[in-house]
Amino acid sequence: MNMKQVQKFVLTYLEATGCHIIEKSPNHITVKLSPAADRALTGRPFYWSFIDSTGTEPETLTYTWIFQRPEVPEAGVQATRLTSLLTPAGRVLREEIFFGSRRLNQIFDAVRQAGRHVTLFAEPPRAQRGALGSLPYSAWLGVNFKVGYECDVKKEELYGWGISLATGVIDENFWERVSQIRLTPRLPASVHLLPSTLSLKKGMAQLEQALEKKLKTQDFAWAEEAEKRRKEEQERLRHYYEPLLKKAQGNPEQESALQANWLKRAEEIDWQYRPRITVRVVNCGVFHLPGID
Amino acid sequence: MPTPQTGLAGSRANQAGAVNPLPAPAGPAAVRRVHPLVELHTDRSVFEELVQKAERNGPWDDWTLFRLAREAEEASLVADFHELQSLRALPAFTPMKHQIETARRVIFEMHGRAILADEVGLGKTIEAGLILKEYWVRGLVKKALILVPASLVLQWVRELAQKFDLPAVAHKKPHSWKNDIVVASMDTAKREPNRSLLLAGEYDMLIVDEAHKLKNKKTSNYQFVSELRKKYCLLLTATPIQNDLNELYNLITLLKPGQLGGEGEFHANFVRGRRAVKNEDKLQENLGQLMIRNRRSDGGIKFTRRFVTNVPLRLSPEEMALYEGVTRYVKEHAWAENRDLASMLSLVTLQREVCSSRDAVFVTLVNLFKKTPEGSPLRARIWELVELIRQIKANTKAEKTMELIRQINDKTIVFTEYRLTQEYLLRFFREHGIQAVPYRGGMNRGKKDWMMDLFRRKAQVLVATEAGGEGINLQFCHHIINFDLPWNPMRVEQRIGRVHRLGQTEDVKIFNLCTLGTIEEHIVRLLHEKINLFESVFGELDDIVERLDKEESWERRVARVVLEAEGEEDLRRRMDQLADQVIAGKACAERGERP
Repeated sequence: MNMKQVQKFVLTYLEATGCHIIEKSPNHITVKLSPAADRALTGRPFYWSFIDSTGTEPETLTYTWIFQRPEVPEAGVQATRLTSLLTPAGRVLREEIFFGSRRLNQIFDAVRQAGRHVTLFAEPPRAQRGALGSLPYSAWLGVNFKVGYECDVKKEELYGWGISLATGVIDENFWERVSQIRLTPRLPASVHLLPSTLSLKKGMAQLEQALEKKLKTQDFAWAEEAEKRRKEEQERLRHYYEPLLKKAQGNPEQESALQANWLKRAEEIDWQYRPRITVRVVNCGVFHLPGID
Repeated sequence: MPTPQTGLAGSRANQAGAVNPLPAPAGPAAVRRVHPLVELHTDRSVFEELVQKAERNGPWDDWTLFRLAREAEEASLVADFHELQSLRALPAFTPMKHQIETARRVIFEMHGRAILADEVGLGKTIEAGLILKEYWVRGLVKKALILVPASLVLQWVRELAQKFDLPAVAHKKPHSWKNDIVVASMDTAKREPNRSLLLAGEYDMLIVDEAHKLKNKKTSNYQFVSELRKKYCLLLTATPIQNDLNELYNLITLLKPGQLGGEGEFHANFVRGRRAVKNEDKLQENLGQLMIRNRRSDGGIKFTRRFVTNVPLRLSPEEMALYEGVTRYVKEHAWAENRDLASMLSLVTLQREVCSSRDAVFVTLVNLFKKTPEGSPLRARIWELVELIRQIKANTKAEKTMELIRQINDKTIVFTEYRLTQEYLLRFFREHGIQAVPYRGGMNRGKKDWMMDLFRRKAQVLVATEAGGEGINLQFCHHIINFDLPWNPMRVEQRIGRVHRLGQTEDVKIFNLCTLGTIEEHIVRLLHEKINLFESVFGELDDIVERLDKEESWERRVARVVLEAEGEEDLRRRMDQLADQVIAGKACAERGERP
């Protein structure tokens, strides 16, 4: 993410959460957070539980966010950066936001939390509007999966797949498809929904099965290499502990201490190297799209 | 006995043979096998919530936020096994090439367990921070413990926050252990109740700074680190640990038991006699698999040059009278009355102090006077010396220093060995309109930071009594005046190292004040002309001096030479012999041998 993308991302988030933008320049923004954004970003659970329990009008925080990488102060010198300003509008907190910064990561977490489930309808094409008769829509289950390949190192992939709940057809480019069309949370006029033959759970089961099938056909060299490393490490341990155990024979206390150590080290090695794949549902939703596939 | 690894592998092999039933997303999580070696863990809790919401018909999230969530996942995707992901996620800070290379090797070749043994000043902390950040970005480290000497805790927290924007927290209360990245002192961590808390947990990454303190297997530090459950582990040390092979072996066992073979094998393969090595190449090869030592002399690490000027001085007749008086006293009394070596050494200190300032020597003389029993004829002798001090009206060296500072007309650090000289100089500079601030070991961290800040922004001169291993970096300054010199070459190097380090953009100018006709002249000659300490960065110096120190400390050697020498000529000859030992060590190191 370059600085422009970061800025666009943050602005989109602020607008979507109803924040009030006080000031804006090509590389900074001053914003009074909305209650929703304040709850997600300021880490003030006690304040908000007080507001919620007393029904008081909340006073949200105001930030100036500068879109640039901060200079690193020279080591050994206390940072004397100005981090907050008192203005007529109250206290304004200043921060740099950049890819990798804690604040941006926090906004990432906030959208992961706030953008998990949708039910949406495609806007019917203009030409269709007002035409006689009603347009048939069918339901799709769309899911963003994040797949992680982990051993001592890690790689990730994203899969934005969808399954038609009417026919069971799977679209591996579903995310590209829905992100290009206009969607609305309300059922448009002169549209009727076709019945689904699959429940959400069945749809999900088929999607997962298809994904698993795909994952199974992939190259597992990474896992085999990791397993080789794991075995070598375990072998090295055996080589180290066996002679020690032999020497300790007849001294049960020493023997069990050695065995405990060995087990501990062996577990650490498994933990470090054992290859595994994780699939996590990032977000998912029901999308009502025109036609039937 | 069923060995641990067969037990674990066995259970998984059984699972591999099991038939995979059709997936039925009944629960939020599931584990299935997609390859004989690979389990597939599915977390579908987000989908479970969708089903519940669909039954209740909402509430639904905003489509824009939904898209941003996908975008956030795309942006933080680790697209590649073998490429550093963290470099694009740092503040305005670019690690040096060798630091990046070190991080890459530790992660991709050493699989996250390594000893980082760079020479001082090459940025081990940065390397460790980069490695931690990389695992952090990849989601492979979620919990990290960093154990460092107490004096470095805050510095680590600060560096991780400023250079890597990592949420590191200094341990203060038992509650602190709950944070994701905790920095604590070893002494705190191994003390109850912390010890039990930490041993009960597990750490994706453990970093130990100053790890040479772990060389002894029997110490509580060693046992503690050994018992901690950790996945990745970095041990940082600048002190060469190759001096003693057993210590090296212990450190490696902490990281990777068996890397150098079993204990018996190790001795059979690599050890000859007490300390000597055999099969050096093989040992180096083995070490290379888990230890990285960058050296200043390595190509690619660019340092600016050093220029050294010796500034010879003639003491005023009054100062010389005091020096000669003290020298006579030292010579006459050093061997008298069965003095022990320690008090002999303190007599030599007198001589050194005279070369620094009358203030420094005055207090020592007064203390000596008080310690001498009443009625002893020595008292009168000492008092004569104190009287000589009274005759001195000016400090030749201080005047020369001021002249130099005016010529330099830029930030300058003046180093002295003596606290009283420091105070005198501060007073002297103030009287002559030069802004100067003090720096010394006894100051607390906050005061040190404050002084450093004043020096950077306002004062022209910093008068320091210690160079300190505390990582003070003064790259914004490139002039050093050694008002007097420590005898230990390591400490001289430490002084220069504060300024002449990575990030220094200017050539560094060093001035050594040298009073002619005193022992100082001999010391400057020893360190400068013979050992050639100042001009080149002395790569293996720490190795060599430490090795020599094992038998007798360097300071003592020099002091003994000074006391035992019979006349100038003899002193010069003996000093040369000392220098030869260092030079021989250096030559060995350059040939890659062990003496």
